Amino acid sequence: MKIGQTLKVIDKGWIRKPKGFRVHYQRQTDTQLETEFTPELDDPPLDSDVAAWRTAWKLQQATLADNAEFGDGQVFNIYVVDDEGALVKYYKTNAFKIYNKFSCPDAHNKA
Amino acid sequence: MGSEFSKLEHIRDIMALHGRELAIALVILIVGLYLAKWLTGHLKIGLGRLTKNANLISIVSNIFYILFLFVVIIAATTEVGFKTVIIFRFLMVVSLAAIGVMVLFRPYIPTLPFKVGNTVKVADLLGKVEATTFLNTRLKTFDGKTVFVPNRQILNDIVINYHFTKTRRIKVDVQVRYDQDILTAKRIMESIMLADPRVKKIPRPVVYTLALEDSWVKLGARCWVDNPKFWFTRCDLIEKVKYGFENEGIRIAFPQVDVHHYDVDEPIEFPAEDELA
Repeated sequence: MKIGQTLKVIDKGWIRKPKGFRVHYQRQTDTQLETEFTPELDDPPLDSDVAAWRTAWKLQQATLADNAEFGDGQVFNIYVVDDEGALVKYYKTNAFKIYNKFSCPDAHNKA
Repeated sequence: MGSEFSKLEHIRDIMALHGRELAIALVILIVGLYLAKWLTGHLKIGLGRLTKNANLISIVSNIFYILFLFVVIIAATTEVGFKTVIIFRFLMVVSLAAIGVMVLFRPYIPTLPFKVGNTVKVADLLGKVEATTFLNTRLKTFDGKTVFVPNRQILNDIVINYHFTKTRRIKVDVQVRYDQDILTAKRIMESIMLADPRVKKIPRPVVYTLALEDSWVKLGARCWVDNPKFWFTRCDLIEKVKYGFENEGIRIAFPQVDVHHYDVDEPIEFPAEDELA
């Protein structure tokens, strides 16, 4: 196998380079949790997972509830996803992380 | 004295005959110049909404300004009484002569090695060029300062223009202790670079073992990114390498000297100087 082909195999199989990152979160409404992203799916994603995790942390800080009850408009299950929607490991701990974890079957499956 | 008095009389006669036309021509000139600047400014703003190509905007605006100026000058001189055709011919000759001089002598005219909007490093200042005049260049540094650098100094100094290179190399050097696995450290650094969307695939990111120093092994990571993303990517990579090392148990070295004390009964005999020679 030529070196160019070998490098292609390595690129494909070793480490995937995501095209971008979004912060996933779910908002509590009257009846259910609605999934949203920032930046929105129509907008270009963030090119830095560091910036995305920082945004996720700030979002969590901004929406921390003083009381334990879940009210309308609160934000849960904040984490970073890549361009394929897969959960991204938190670079600080190299492990999956979810802020304001409430219930997110998708996230658990992916994690 | 008499000749000066006659000159004044001559001017008075001219003003009496053509004063009104001269005044109107002056008004046309002043209003025209003001209008040319105002319209060109608005044209630039309008074009800026359509395209981000600064060169194209500048060229179109300048052409519009010159043509408008032509019209204003012709209108003013016609009002005074000059024939339009003669003025038009005169302006054409002047324009062509100016273009000819510029084309012929441009290689010999010292020009600034950047344009408005370029990010440059000059006179130990890093910033964006906001404007250039005949005497100085207005630079906006990244900490918000507006600096006026004399063009004379720029022409005599080394200038780094970051606009001409689309990509830039990031250099992250770290030192790890001798008892650490440098292959693991290299893998961590390479994988962090490969996984970053901003890092170019070609040239490929590489990690080198740069040196075996007194107290550490020096590793150097090199990768390429788009110029505007250089700073943030570099900062992110440094942060991620630090945490990556912590997660994998790689310890970064810090400057230190190990002193080993041997408790011996007999005094140590040092060789004599002639023995060393």
